[in-house]
Amino acid sequence: MDPVWWEYIPYILQGAIWTFTLVGGGLALGFAIGVPVAMGQKYGPTWLKAVLDAYVWFFRGTPLVVLLFLFYWGVFPVLLGIKLDALTTSIIVLGLRSGAYQSQIFRGALNSVDEGQMLAARALGMTKWQAITNIILPQALRIAIPGWTNEYAIILKDSAICFTLGVIEILTRTRYVVISTGEALGPFLFAGILYIIFTYGGTKVFNIIYEKYHIPGLVGKGV
Amino acid sequence: MGRGSEMVGDEIVLRVENIHKRYKDQEVLKGVTFEVRRGETKVIAGPSGAGKSTLLRCINLLTKPDKGRVWLEGVELTDPETNINKMRQKIGFVFQEFNLFHHLTALENVMIGLTKVKKLPKDVARKKAEEALLTVHITEDLWHKYPAQLSGGQKQRVAIARALAMDPVIILYDEPTSALDPQLVGEVLRVMEELARKGVTGLVVTHEIGFALEVADEILFMYGGRILERGPPREVVFSPKHEVTRKFFENITKLYGGK
Ligand SMILES: Nc1ncnc2c1ncn2[C@@H]1O[C@H](COP(=O)(O)OP(=O)(O)OP(=O)(O)O)[C@@H](O)[C@H]1O
Ligand SMILES: [Mg+2]
Repeated sequence: MDPVWWEYIPYILQGAIWTFTLVGGGLALGFAIGVPVAMGQKYGPTWLKAVLDAYVWFFRGTPLVVLLFLFYWGVFPVLLGIKLDALTTSIIVLGLRSGAYQSQIFRGALNSVDEGQMLAARALGMTKWQAITNIILPQALRIAIPGWTNEYAIILKDSAICFTLGVIEILTRTRYVVISTGEALGPFLFAGILYIIFTYGGTKVFNIIYEKYHIPGLVGKGV
Repeated sequence: MGRGSEMVGDEIVLRVENIHKRYKDQEVLKGVTFEVRRGETKVIAGPSGAGKSTLLRCINLLTKPDKGRVWLEGVELTDPETNINKMRQKIGFVFQEFNLFHHLTALENVMIGLTKVKKLPKDVARKKAEEALLTVHITEDLWHKYPAQLSGGQKQRVAIARALAMDPVIILYDEPTSALDPQLVGEVLRVMEELARKGVTGLVVTHEIGFALEVADEILFMYGGRILERGPPREVVFSPKHEVTRKFFENITKLYGGK
């Protein structure tokens, strides 16, 4: 007798560890890329802006699955001559892509901090760098939290696409279960509900962070 | 003559020489020259577009003048060799729109220049900031409020304290009461007057004729990018040499109700 699919629920659930490794890694890498990219786009010299625009344009304009294949079989082994496993490749690709999207979130947030803040900071004698780090960024990061919450929800769902490289995250495991039990509806529905729960829970966590760092009256203009 | 005048020494602290500034095809400043002595309060008045704000920003180089020179206590700010960030610490700037840092409390707004720019230890900075806030009559109950939780008059007084705490050589005010509800103008003017009486040097762009008559040692009347005329407040306001000056103050007096 074939095993019933729900006996595999713990097995699918263990995939959450991999999913959150992808999401956490991608978000963190995307943050580390997105903030400086946004700063470069706003405050950098023209040539740098052009380079950064090209980066953003490339990673926003290319489907994720294409990026995954390109980096896994192309960029890393052929172009750079390094062998990376599927998980590492996936995190890097998710991070590079999320960095492109996050840079736009942060750029919008930087732009929504009014000009007077920079003027007042410079008038006090701050250097441009001091003004950015002490005055502009702390405001922009707070303004960016709602957009960032959205980015979490997106990258969580996008992480499922990493099944194409065989990362044993939720979807990959669900497919194994479907294949070995011959049941499709139950496992896929379960996986879908898992994603909904993680989306909802994560959004709640970010809302708590938003409330914690919220400052009365600090809303970017037009955000 | 302003009553602050007994505080005025001979020492020139700010010297502005032949400042020119052009935006595209519009010449905004066409050679402005004047000086400010220690302890003096000078008022700049003039119609909208005369170049008053541009002039103030050219003084601390928030805007780069095309031509001309600026000295503060004998150091030329317009010299490319001069460390402008260091010199800006000595020039307080009070904006029409306050420009308090939104993410900092009143106290933190005043402290941040002391800790991050002057690199004072936190406790010293805090003490200085508290003193400055008390000087502008911002009492302890307001110290931990964010700008959005303050009234316009309170915001502007915190902004003045932020400038004052840096121990500036001079404070530049750009229409500090123009964004305020009429009933809040008085509290800000009173603080500015008190500072002037204490001998804090000030250069004030304002349309408040009462303040100019009571406090200023001299009025500079700007028109079309130049200082059209200058002199003791009563003279410039009540018996100006030029027709445009007379018209200007006549209209202002009607609008604001002169004293
Ligand atoms: N950054 C800028 N770019 C282009 N034009 C500018 C800029 N700043 C000021 N101007 C122009 O320069 C002229 C003088 O402006 P400024 O703000 O110095 O006048 P003002 O005397 O302060 O007027 P107001 O009483 O309205 O504040 C105006 O015509 C203005 O449009
Ligand atoms: Mg102006």
